[in-house]
Amino acid sequence: MSAVPASGWADWFSPTELVRFRRRHLVDRWIGRLVPIVFLVAIVPILDLIFWISQRALPTLTWTTLTTNPTGNAGGLYGPIVGTVDLLLLGLAIAVPLGIVSGLSSAIFLPFRWGEVVRGAGDLLVGLPSVILGYFGYFALVIYFGWGASLLAGGVTLGFFMFPYIARASDQAFSSVPPDLKDAALGAGARLRQYARRVAFPIALPQILSGIFLAAAIGIGETAPLLWTALFSSYPPTTLSQPTGYLTGLIWNYYDEPLTFGTEVTLAFQAAFLLIVIVVVMNVIVRLYAERSRKKLEGLYG
Amino acid sequence: MIDGSLPSDAASSGPPGLLEVEHLGVSAGSRKILDDVTLSLPDRTVSAVLGPSGCGKTTFIRCLNRMVELSPALKIVGSVRLLGRDLYDREVDPALVRRRIGMVFQRPTVFPQSIFENAAFGLRLVHADEDEVDRSVMDALKRAGLWDEVHDDLDRSALALSGGQQQRLCIARALAVKPRVLLLDEPTSSLDPHGTQRIEATVRHLKEEIAVVIVTHNVGQAARISDRVAFFHAGRVVEVGATPDILERPREALTEQFITGRFT
Ligand SMILES: Nc1ncnc2c1ncn2[C@@H]1O[C@H](COP(=O)(O)OP(=O)(O)O)[C@@H](O)[C@H]1O
Ligand SMILES: [Mg+2]
Repeated sequence: MSAVPASGWADWFSPTELVRFRRRHLVDRWIGRLVPIVFLVAIVPILDLIFWISQRALPTLTWTTLTTNPTGNAGGLYGPIVGTVDLLLLGLAIAVPLGIVSGLSSAIFLPFRWGEVVRGAGDLLVGLPSVILGYFGYFALVIYFGWGASLLAGGVTLGFFMFPYIARASDQAFSSVPPDLKDAALGAGARLRQYARRVAFPIALPQILSGIFLAAAIGIGETAPLLWTALFSSYPPTTLSQPTGYLTGLIWNYYDEPLTFGTEVTLAFQAAFLLIVIVVVMNVIVRLYAERSRKKLEGLYG
Repeated sequence: MIDGSLPSDAASSGPPGLLEVEHLGVSAGSRKILDDVTLSLPDRTVSAVLGPSGCGKTTFIRCLNRMVELSPALKIVGSVRLLGRDLYDREVDPALVRRRIGMVFQRPTVFPQSIFENAAFGLRLVHADEDEVDRSVMDALKRAGLWDEVHDDLDRSALALSGGQQQRLCIARALAVKPRVLLLDEPTSSLDPHGTQRIEATVRHLKEEIAVVIVTHNVGQAARISDRVAFFHAGRVVEVGATPDILERPREALTEQFITGRFT
């Protein structure tokens, strides 16, 4: 007696079962082939763009490009690079604490329903066109508070731009802590804030840091919140109240200058190239870090 | 007791039970999860809360240390007294209640930290000094029956331990703050027979010093480790008494049906 009947599988499965199974199998195979094609369709224009930018940026990109200020139709990117970093750090100094506090309250401290309200408000902010935030920064900070177009006004506006991304990442990070651990902590006599600090925060931290990096990567590529708040300058800022240059602003100012006129257009391409490199590097760091911390928490969600 | 603290042992003069539960009821909306539960849980005794799935065992022991209050949908009536003091009194701090009455859950709930830090968790909440933390952690790990397996590397991640070891670490974490009562909610339901056996051995030792309340739906486990059994069904206590009496000579038909395996 053999386990397989002489007539093959036909004895084990009904004809309709066999037909359906074969159909599914074919569909699976076709989807498997389509995915790489769709991926290529999406990736080719991006690669083409990067190639197009590199072609114009790289031939004249030298160390001096990074260390000299833009000067009319010559010079480098030094001022805008420093300005970008300053604006970003100032923005993060506001967005990180606000975002984490927002995530803590929506995920841990507020009753679920109020948490939903906070989450909804955050989603609304993410969806707000950044140009509107730029106008808000202009009227509220530059005009009403009288800060003038400055590093301070630009940094604060950029902070409000990045805040909802960090709030959302923090909310998700705190919410994904296994609820058993909250019972365990409170069951051992911890107060809610002790649970938040000693248990939830260390577990959520990698995810929050990833969120911060991604918010910074999005923020660094923004122009609209800064155009009327930081304005522009070719020189690195020395005080909070000075107008400040930034890489996207330089691209905005120079990208449509005629190629024959001087180096401005090239400078715009070099700024774009630099931005791409920075964003790619930030993404790689986030991914490596996320992978490492995932390994460290292995078994927690098992 | 204006400061909201709980009575110490010196104040224990009154009732026979360490924990006295009177007319306890829990409801979710119009649905009664526990109905008029009155029980006395003696000191230095293992009391088993036995009953079929969904009869309210978890809800019941979560009432004993006010963990039930973390579910905002549940309404609680009646009283739970520790050494005569009502735990639900407005003056009483729930965090203190939970230090005096520790809890271990159905699945191990270790924190992603070292073995030492897990055991020290409750101590660190109140700024205990380092020597005292060291001593208490060692003592708790010994009482939980885990010390011999982990003492040479307390800095290892608790997540690397087996499920049974993790559960004993959770017991150690609860014991480290020197509770008077330990609540265990089906602590072996996720463990293999060996892990189960180790936990049961640990529980049998613990009753020399404190009161233990263990939830189980396993008649064999109740027989092996408990001195008293309270049989629950549909949110009510059907009968309560010494373990051999309840398991060998049940008075109620429901109890008999359950222990002879006619429903689970
Ligand atoms: N927070 C809650 N809200 C509504 N119903 C609940 C809640 N917690 C428990 N219940 C219900 O109470 C009943 C008893 O639950 P539980 O105490 O977990 O039983 P057991 O531990 O004996 O299995 C179940 O029917 C459960 O659905
Ligand atoms: Mg249960």
